[in-house]
Amino acid sequence: MNILLRSWSAYTRATARWPGLAALVPFIPVIALWIAVTESGMFPRAFLPGPVEVVKAFFSLTYRGILPDYLQDSLVRLITGAALGMAIGIPLGVLIGTSKWAHRVSWPILLFFQAIGDIAWLPILLIWFGFGLTTMTFVIVYTVLFPVVLNTVLGVESVPRDLARAARSLGASPARVLWEVTLPGALPNIITGLRNGLGYGWRALIAVEMIVGTSGIGFLMFDARRSGSVVEILLGMIILGLLWYIVDAWILAPIERATGQRWGLVTS
Amino acid sequence: MKTLELRNLAKTYFDPYAGSHVTAVHDVSLDVQQGDFVSVVGPSGCGKTTILNMVAGFIPHSGGEILLNGKAVSGPGPERGVVFQSFALFPWKTVLDNVGFGPKMRGVPKAERDKIAHEYLALAGLSHAANRYPNELSGGMQQRVGVVRALANNPEVLLMDEPFASVDAQTRMTLQEELTRIWQERRPTVIFVTHDVAEAVFLANRVVVLSKGRVLDQIQVALPRPRVWDDLMEDETFKRLSAHVLQMVRSA
Repeated sequence: MNILLRSWSAYTRATARWPGLAALVPFIPVIALWIAVTESGMFPRAFLPGPVEVVKAFFSLTYRGILPDYLQDSLVRLITGAALGMAIGIPLGVLIGTSKWAHRVSWPILLFFQAIGDIAWLPILLIWFGFGLTTMTFVIVYTVLFPVVLNTVLGVESVPRDLARAARSLGASPARVLWEVTLPGALPNIITGLRNGLGYGWRALIAVEMIVGTSGIGFLMFDARRSGSVVEILLGMIILGLLWYIVDAWILAPIERATGQRWGLVTS
Repeated sequence: MKTLELRNLAKTYFDPYAGSHVTAVHDVSLDVQQGDFVSVVGPSGCGKTTILNMVAGFIPHSGGEILLNGKAVSGPGPERGVVFQSFALFPWKTVLDNVGFGPKMRGVPKAERDKIAHEYLALAGLSHAANRYPNELSGGMQQRVGVVRALANNPEVLLMDEPFASVDAQTRMTLQEELTRIWQERRPTVIFVTHDVAEAVFLANRVVVLSKGRVLDQIQVALPRPRVWDDLMEDETFKRLSAHVLQMVRSA
């Protein structure tokens, strides 16, 4: 009992000191299970390689420069698409959220197009733009756009009316109200929209790369299928998960802590 | 000198669900002198908040006139400061930046508006909270910020809409005493809307009683200042005035 308590205490102190540790520890049983299954010989190695082979493939692909190149391609596509999606989505969301008229006109249209999922656009995009960057960017922008617009509208509409009134009677012009009240008030929701948008966009990108790509993580995985390299497929899957964790924990979560949670708009 | 004049003010709006017009304010005329403190009381639905919202410019009036220093007003403006029941502090701004918001909108440079904000925070005993965010303060402290934020903008008239209705009873009494003290020091022109009769009498020079969108009566409150609850609670004049106003409100 004493040992259990002591190791619990040591773990608590260690994770407080290195927060990354708390994220890694839950994976120990997952990896252990993986090793156990591969070592048991239930499946042929070519069907289900173990962690060691995947790590080897990681170093080999990194050494040959393929993995860094593909990773960069995927990330640049995601960032370009997400930036464009936000540049269109946030102003559009603010417009729809502030104008009752714009809301009535655009809402049914938004819901209609939202239902035509990213991949459903691919057949016609391939005819229009062919296999290339335009098609990929279109799909990402499309995927990022809807969560950003819908959440921005929600955010703008959730700003208490008294805040805008207070700003107006303190001398703010309608434009200043937009900048000083509406946007900061909607920010927590905008970040939620961005979080969802990036998540969907990342998944859509991988899917599109499998179909139209000539590079990228999605292409890597689909190409590996052709050569029957399960190791590379598994590596691709692990990279997808890792990368999303990094984006979430290192970029999105800190922004949320510094804004909505700090202001008491979102309970942590 | 008259600061604010309401002449035959009326508000009628169309209720699309009922399919008919509803009159919230019938015909209200009211003069407020510069530096005066006027309370407006009445039962819920009497139109007191509607009047305040029209004076603040949040909603248009449908009849009569609102004159500020002889000029008709339309839309919200910095010469009419507002204190809200919901406090309406900006959650993403520190207390200092909330109080400095009005001067910022006027283009006052950062150093100077911080000086103004610090001065008004000191007036409300809030100097220690300057760099905190509103959600880190108690309700009573938040509304103190709400009051000095409006005052720091030097409005011609201060409009207060049941500002102490959402704080606890003890804090409310303290806030009422502080408000009378600040009013004596700064002499802003105040219109204070409330449904609490004792509060109305305690604070004001004059109590306006509203009923069904009309002014029922106006009662002068000639109690000495400074006013503190310990003295007034058992004061005969205060009790008599409060009972009189309460009776009117209840029969209204």
